[in-house]
Amino acid sequence: MNLNATLLGQMIAFGLFVWFCWKFVWPPLLAAMEERAEKIEQGLKDSEESAKKIIKAQEEADSMVKSAKSEAKKVLDNAKQQADKIVDDAKNKANEEKDRIVNSAQAEIDKEVVNAKKSLEKDFAVNVMAAVKKIVAKEVLSTDHDDTIKESLNDFRK
Amino acid sequence: MASESSGRTFQEYLAHHLQNLVYGPLPEGHERKFYAKGDSSTEKDTYCQDKGMDYDGSKYCKETLTEDGWYLANNKTDVEAMGFWALNIDTLFFSILLGSIFVFLFARAARNFSLESPTKLQCFIEMMIDFINGVVKGTFKAAKNTLIAPMALTIFFWVLLMNVMDLVPVDLIPYPAELLGVPYLKVVPTTDLNLTAALALSVFVLYLIFSIKSKGFIGFIKSISLHPFGPWMLPANLFIEIIDLIAKPLSLALRLYGNLYAGEMIFLLIAGMVSINLAELTLTGIGLNLAGIMLSLIWAIFHILIVVLQAFIFMMLTVVYMNMAHEKFEQH
Repeated sequence: MNLNATLLGQMIAFGLFVWFCWKFVWPPLLAAMEERAEKIEQGLKDSEESAKKIIKAQEEADSMVKSAKSEAKKVLDNAKQQADKIVDDAKNKANEEKDRIVNSAQAEIDKEVVNAKKSLEKDFAVNVMAAVKKIVAKEVLSTDHDDTIKESLNDFRK
Repeated sequence: MASESSGRTFQEYLAHHLQNLVYGPLPEGHERKFYAKGDSSTEKDTYCQDKGMDYDGSKYCKETLTEDGWYLANNKTDVEAMGFWALNIDTLFFSILLGSIFVFLFARAARNFSLESPTKLQCFIEMMIDFINGVVKGTFKAAKNTLIAPMALTIFFWVLLMNVMDLVPVDLIPYPAELLGVPYLKVVPTTDLNLTAALALSVFVLYLIFSIKSKGFIGFIKSISLHPFGPWMLPANLFIEIIDLIAKPLSLALRLYGNLYAGEMIFLLIAGMVSINLAELTLTGIGLNLAGIMLSLIWAIFHILIVVLQAFIFMMLTVVYMNMAHEKFEQH
């Protein structure tokens, strides 16, 4: 119980332990813990920022989709108009063609009719002449009735 | 158990447990006494003859030293003859062992510190560092001094570990050690006044150094002489302030020592109560044993509080004193 040199020994031991703790234990541990605290703080800040970024990106994407939709609508409308126009054009062209073809056919027909009339006229005249000749040969000279014939032919022509 | 089997009375058992293992110088002509084993005086005589010593006729063998030398003290007379230049081997051994364990654990945690995957030990040590740092930051505001926090950590853990030794059953280590030939062994270093006084004195020396450093030598002298009554009452001021100064290390040392010594003493008394009645298989004997076991359990549980509290108080007061040392002197 009485004090002895142990006192000095313990003071030296205490000094050494404190010195060791001061130099090799406390600073690295505290520094590491502060580094960790900083890291956590930075991480929280980063995550908050990324959350904001995500919201912003979402908004951007929404607006992009909206504009894309309206663009698509525009394109669709355009295409419809174009298609309508093409169909109309085609219809018009077809009508024109039809008219042309009908007209030319009509002309052809008219021509044919004229030709047919002409040849019919000719044939009829020839036949009538032949018949008349036959009749006339029996009864009169061909010359006797030339005027009458000519007259009737003229009538026919009319 | 120790008191009965080693043939000691209860008083001897107590005294034996409260005696440090002292190693120190003994002068030529000093008579050493050793406890003689044996039932009859003839047996004791042969025991002493075997050891090469004389039998003193009652309990001890005796030996007169023929030259100066360093010996392990064997009784109070030896310790008194050794004087100041003796070492308490047990206190030194256990305190340095426990301090080394503390330093080793913390240094290892510091070296293997991992930010991403901390081990359980690291988590515990971080908690402790955080706790000490909080206490120091809350109390020590006077100046920037990087020594205070690590010193507080060292004091808290070292004292805590030494106090925890008090919870080890009182005979668990000394009894086998005695069988191995170690005459005395006190396993709780904080029940040795040498250790608590050493801690308190170290703190006091630092207190003086930091006081003089922050106030200047003149400022320090002023702070103990012109305070609290002003320059006209200088002798009274000096008297009060010097008492105040000396009370700091004294109270630090004695508080820790007293608490732990008393705690150890009560453990010893309870242990004595158990061991003395172990031989009698009477109802009273068994009852006393059971009561003793219960008491020692209750006291141990209560003592956990004291162990931690005393370590904390020692650390806290150290930080408070350091804060006082760093305060500038103000004329009131």
